[in-house]
Amino acid sequence: MSPVTARLRIAGLAAVGALLAATAACAPQAPPASQGSAGATDATLTVATTTDVVNYNPLVGNSRSDYWVTNLMYPHLLGIDEQGKKTASLASGWGYTTPTKGFYDVRDDFTWSDGQKLTAEDVAWTLNTVKKDKPSGTFYGQLANFTSAKAVSPTRVELELSKPDSSIVEEIGFWGNIVPEHTFSKASSVATFANDGKDGGWVSAGPYKLTDVQVGQSYTMDRVEPYPLVEGGKPGPAKVVFRVFPDVNTEILALQSGEVDVIANALPPAQVDTLSKTNGVTVAQAAGLGYAHLTYNMKKPDLAKLEVRQALSQAVDYGTIRNVVLRNQAVSTGSSPLMPVLKDYYDPKITEYAFDPAAARALMEKAGYQADSSGMFAPTFRMIYSLQDSVTSQWATLVKDSSAKAGIKIELQGLERNTYLAKTDKGDFDIYAGNFAIMDDPATNMTLTYLPGGVINYSYVDDPELNALIQKATVTPSGPEKVALMQQAAQIVHEKVYDNVMYTQNLAFAHSSKWTGFVSQPSELLSIVNPESLASARKTG
Amino acid sequence: MPVAWLLGRKLVRALLTLWFAVTVTFLLLRLLPGDPALALASPNMTAATRASILASYGLDKPLLVQYGLYLGQLLQGNLGTSFTQSVPVTQVLAARLPWTLLLTGASLVLTVLLGIPLGVLAASRRGGLVDRLVQVVGVTGQSVFVPSVAVLLLFAFGVRLGWLPIGGAYDTGVYGIAWYGDVARHLVLPALSLTLVQLGAYVLTVRSTLIDALGQDYTTLAQANGLSPRRVLWRHALRNALLPATTLIGLQLGFLVGGAVLTETVFAYPGIGRGIYEAVTQLDYAVLQGAFLLLAATVVLANMVTDVVYGLLDPRVSAR
Repeated sequence: MSPVTARLRIAGLAAVGALLAATAACAPQAPPASQGSAGATDATLTVATTTDVVNYNPLVGNSRSDYWVTNLMYPHLLGIDEQGKKTASLASGWGYTTPTKGFYDVRDDFTWSDGQKLTAEDVAWTLNTVKKDKPSGTFYGQLANFTSAKAVSPTRVELELSKPDSSIVEEIGFWGNIVPEHTFSKASSVATFANDGKDGGWVSAGPYKLTDVQVGQSYTMDRVEPYPLVEGGKPGPAKVVFRVFPDVNTEILALQSGEVDVIANALPPAQVDTLSKTNGVTVAQAAGLGYAHLTYNMKKPDLAKLEVRQALSQAVDYGTIRNVVLRNQAVSTGSSPLMPVLKDYYDPKITEYAFDPAAARALMEKAGYQADSSGMFAPTFRMIYSLQDSVTSQWATLVKDSSAKAGIKIELQGLERNTYLAKTDKGDFDIYAGNFAIMDDPATNMTLTYLPGGVINYSYVDDPELNALIQKATVTPSGPEKVALMQQAAQIVHEKVYDNVMYTQNLAFAHSSKWTGFVSQPSELLSIVNPESLASARKTG
Repeated sequence: MPVAWLLGRKLVRALLTLWFAVTVTFLLLRLLPGDPALALASPNMTAATRASILASYGLDKPLLVQYGLYLGQLLQGNLGTSFTQSVPVTQVLAARLPWTLLLTGASLVLTVLLGIPLGVLAASRRGGLVDRLVQVVGVTGQSVFVPSVAVLLLFAFGVRLGWLPIGGAYDTGVYGIAWYGDVARHLVLPALSLTLVQLGAYVLTVRSTLIDALGQDYTTLAQANGLSPRRVLWRHALRNALLPATTLIGLQLGFLVGGAVLTETVFAYPGIGRGIYEAVTQLDYAVLQGAFLLLAATVVLANMVTDVVYGLLDPRVSAR
């Protein structure tokens, strides 16, 4: 054997050996069969999602998949109906005993999957611990005026508030998940607790419990009985499996091919008609609870002028945007932050800004601008939007084109989402285009959106009259007086163009026609994969 | 020169490369527009909440202090804790690494198995139709972008023909031996995507070096000795022509790893590439730093192995 041949053989053998060793050490492991075999008579419901579950701690998690999966294990005190009204869930009653004291009556038939009763102690512990540990999720943001909670009986929790707040009981009840004290209290802080099931698995008081996680691939959840919020206490599917897909288009292909039964994400408007006509696919509708809007940065001298904001608001062809981009799957809010879905608050007297380029041009001239020979006014407004938001990306172009008809120049700046968030946060824009997913409580939302220092006050509005109305509404108990205050506030927002609320998008969710019984709830967060819906799902035929 | 000295020099060079990769990654991530606190938390958070989030991950400290702390952590073998998942980065990467190794390994093997025979075929029929065809395929493969090939394959074989799955690494509810078959089925399209775009480099390299080898005196001598053309081609010319192809394997690994990030994203393949994509959207610096370090280490290690193998194959190299 020649030396080269010998060397080749040695090298070849070494390479093969190294490859085998590496393969043995790093090869993907097959999941144990016992974790995944469904019962002979009970079906598995497969749900498509586009993102991994990042965090299994519902007090921290922020992505859609986090919310969908953890929601099936950790109950909320309150739910929401199609009109945006809070409904009973874990709490059977709620309200205030004094302006600074709230309460929840907790159902007595909820049990954690390890056999421990879910009591008012769990609720009080969750609230107090979130306040103390400050986890980064949405829940903590709702606790600004919350001081402490106390379980005064196994079924009643009382809340102390730092100042009167007529929305906080409902907002905490709706946004917060209740977690088991007996497992979460072992963590030094709930803000850093991964809840990844390493210490004996997960404990659930919802209809399903996580039993198997294949990172980046699938999340398998087993049925938990009894689940008091479904008829008979037995959720329909024996298992729910969340499978990760790259995007919503691939999810649709997977639904059509029968690989999945439900798409958790809302369908893109362009797909709704097609899927509605597809055999074997059912499209369920749900109201949106948020809105899309344009916000004008009033720190900029040009946009501080009312006439300029009015001109901009009349240079948008709202009807075309809803018809063409949203395929008529959106409703006008009447250019008001009080959307029609909030039936008690909606004010039909506030009507949508008219698309009138001539009037917009006249307003610009009234504001002191002169058009050049090409008919365009001097200022150019930079409009930012997220490129990840395909609907906004489409209508941003329409806004630019329609504004040009009024002689107003808009420079589009589509941005990667994190850059968009950073620029929004710094106020580095003239016009902000975007949307809020859930604006369920007008007083809370107007506090955040229109009060000075409000964390989503992107227009930097500070109007004493508006401030007074909003502040009064936050301490006024729900009822006609609060509604009237909110409607007056919305009227001011509309007249002064502090915000240009364009539409509420109706949502459509697709599932296999082999399944029925889903309960769609407003917003993409709840969709048809909310606990009540999945627990009620049944296989047809 | 003693082998130990050679290996030591290579090791020092590898460590310097890794330090450079770590530093560049650390700085580039912090140059990204965006604020991890905004990506992590609800937009409704207060300034105090944001400050608390940034402090909890040490992001409130000056850049140099953060860098020093990070290097100190690395020297202790600690890659840190994921911002979003609250678990050690090693745990995050360990869950995904096997899939990336499987994908890149399968693609590499497939590339070599296809690339060498095709290169030989083209060289042995130099100037003919087959040669031209192989060259066109090779150059085209080198010119296309991995995701474009991936999407085309996905559409053709996953959607239109329905022969292969459109995403993931395996179906849920499949166990035992069938699971391995299912994994292989899910691997076909991602591995093929990666293979097609890097095949050209192998084919063209083998072809040109083989043509060169076929013109050398030793092949002429072998032919004059009456050896069959097949034996001259495969046993004499190819053996020498394979040396550059071996180097190429090491060089292409970097490309392969980059391609895997994109391919895994298109096919929702649960490897490190998909993990990087998600970590970027969440600005999870800790996971990104760990993932890039791991990938850099893989490429550096592969290059070291290539150097050693090259030395084994060509005594002139180890003698230098």
